[in-house]
Amino acid sequence: MNAFTTNQSPQPLLSVENIQTFIGQFHILEGVSLTVPANSITVMLGRNGAGKTTTLKSILGLTPPREGRVVFDGMEIQGKRAFNIANLGIGYVPENRAIFRQLSVMENLKLAERKRGDLEQHADFIFDLFPDLKRLYKLPGNHLSGGQQQMLAVARALVPDNKLLLIDEPSEGLAPILIQQMMEAIRKLSATTTVLLVEQNFIMASQLAQRYTIIDDGKSVHSGLMQDLAQNEELVHEYLGASVRTAKSGGEQ
Amino acid sequence: MKFAWKKILPIGAAIIMVLLLIAWGWTGLGTASFVRTTLSGLTLGSLFFMVAAGLTLIFGLMDVLNFAHGAMFMLGAYMGWQFYTNPTFIFGISPLIFAFASGLMLLPLIKPALIRWEINSKLQQNLPRIAYALALLMIFFAFNQLDIMGLADTAMVAITTTTADNPLAELSAQEPLLRFWVRPALMLVSGALIAFATAKPGDKTEFAVAEKTTQKWIIVAALFVATVLLTAFREALPETVLLMNGNLRFFLAMIVAVLFGLVFGGIIEITLIRPLYQRATFIVLMTLGLSFVIREVVQVLWDPLAYQMVRPPFFAQPGKAETVLEWFRNGNSTLNIFGVTFPTYRLFIIALGLVMFIFITLLMTRTRLGMIIRAGVQDPEMVEALGINVRQVFTFVFALGIAMAALGGIGAAPFIPVQPLMGDQFQMQGFITVVLGGMGSYVGAFIGALTLGLARAFGDYFALKLSLSPAIAEASTVIIMIIVLLIRPSGLFGKKE
Repeated sequence: MNAFTTNQSPQPLLSVENIQTFIGQFHILEGVSLTVPANSITVMLGRNGAGKTTTLKSILGLTPPREGRVVFDGMEIQGKRAFNIANLGIGYVPENRAIFRQLSVMENLKLAERKRGDLEQHADFIFDLFPDLKRLYKLPGNHLSGGQQQMLAVARALVPDNKLLLIDEPSEGLAPILIQQMMEAIRKLSATTTVLLVEQNFIMASQLAQRYTIIDDGKSVHSGLMQDLAQNEELVHEYLGASVRTAKSGGEQ
Repeated sequence: MKFAWKKILPIGAAIIMVLLLIAWGWTGLGTASFVRTTLSGLTLGSLFFMVAAGLTLIFGLMDVLNFAHGAMFMLGAYMGWQFYTNPTFIFGISPLIFAFASGLMLLPLIKPALIRWEINSKLQQNLPRIAYALALLMIFFAFNQLDIMGLADTAMVAITTTTADNPLAELSAQEPLLRFWVRPALMLVSGALIAFATAKPGDKTEFAVAEKTTQKWIIVAALFVATVLLTAFREALPETVLLMNGNLRFFLAMIVAVLFGLVFGGIIEITLIRPLYQRATFIVLMTLGLSFVIREVVQVLWDPLAYQMVRPPFFAQPGKAETVLEWFRNGNSTLNIFGVTFPTYRLFIIALGLVMFIFITLLMTRTRLGMIIRAGVQDPEMVEALGINVRQVFTFVFALGIAMAALGGIGAAPFIPVQPLMGDQFQMQGFITVVLGGMGSYVGAFIGALTLGLARAFGDYFALKLSLSPAIAEASTVIIMIIVLLIRPSGLFGKKE
């Protein structure tokens, strides 16, 4: 990846402008805007049900926005079909991990190839991040534990050459030691790709991300640099009260 | 390991039970009756599997219950039978179909350019409408006064005359080429017009990338060349086919049925099923209606009669072969197996079912497509998010399911009468098989089909021997289904919900 030129370009890698998304007849997103600069980690914060996951799905075209613009890498992508959007270089790690239970770990990774040889090319990097996967290579997906599934879900997004990774709640339901491992992995992979993260765990989010956007009730209400947010306790309390408390109680959960 | 035992135990128990049943049957019935009944059951089971395999694949991936599956089984039988006894019909129609297809295949090639076209919104709205109207008009003129009925009629000539002396006698004269060439030309243009209209010229919200263009041009070119050849040789080709060796002709008839199933299934999925995925009940009604339409069209073309297809020469020589080698040399109609005289064609059906099972197993476990299907059964949305065109996969799987039904149809044609209702009982048994084996499991469909076939055959045997009503045999399949569902509500190989 040509990090230097993308850094220089004034355009962010992804910008979402005032998208409105309906699921059935429910108006879920009522105006979400956010920008993701290249080669950084941007985190979406907000309470449960605020619309963070729907925002990710709207970017990817799984729940296409009815209005608004999504610009990725200089190209308008709203209204395009999900597989087309993904093939532009977006990897998705969903909240429920969506590991294919009938497929082995190897097949799960193979399936993510966009061209022949993708997996061989990135295998070393993937096994370096998640050494466990090498041991589990032949095991079917339904034999994996929650943590192993999460690793596989992230690894799957790393198989093709993705410019952007959409990662939804990577720490959810993981033991504290695994959260540390996952954080380390995301930090490492952000050296070569851009990440848009959804994270409830405020400590993890604040340690990883450079930028943040707060989503509340289907609207983006605030965004800026992470270091500013960490000092602005008022703002944190207003929108993220619950999640900060979880974060402060640390690994007790 | 703990889970290993859980898996081995039921399989082991099943094997022991089957072995006990065989031993009991063998000693109780006597060798001759047992072997004959078993082989009959396997023949039936093999036919059930050919129908159930497609049903279960289609249901597993896209939750579609295809009630037109039996009708497509029947159509496959008609197409194969037509090709085998009198190919005039197929060769008379195919230039038009191929011409239309080559026009239509331009769609992905012209789309990237067309959607970038700068035209005002009024023109953008009306241009596709004009194109559609023109295309329909052209299709009308292409088929206007084409003697379709006459082409289909020759099939009836074929069964009244003896093919052995002069196979070309029943070929009817076709339109002279000088007049005929207009029809494929019109179809080509109308196909291109429909491609133009569906590309939505000037529509900025559409999205298309020009990729693999050489490959797509090659497809268009190949279809065009095929059109020209089929048009030029449309009188010579049927003659050539009829003069061929009967076995080769039968083999080609099977390929024709498969190709027909692939194309027909693809068209049905794209035009009728795709718009209805959100409304599952509508799909059931639509496919049910479609089966009636297909049946009526077939009755119009070939009259509501039952035809007996002649068996290919490899299975036709009267007399019993004592060994398999002798059968291969002479092409006997029956073979001696453990002292039982058994029709060789039924052995072929068993083999065909086995080949299909092996094919599906290889497809599902060894190919990328199989991997996509297995993943798509669980979570089509995530498969799409990985960058795979799930809609295209749906179309292909539907087409594949229909092709398997069509192959089953031509396979069954020399064995049961070819008539408009021939697929119905197989569709019924196919559904029972799918429920018994577990929705979406092809292994379950295979085991289930064999179980039901054997139950049917042994039911018939005991009904005859104990002078019970033959309805017992018919009911036996449903009884087995009920018992299995009481023990395992999701079927033999179904996933627990």
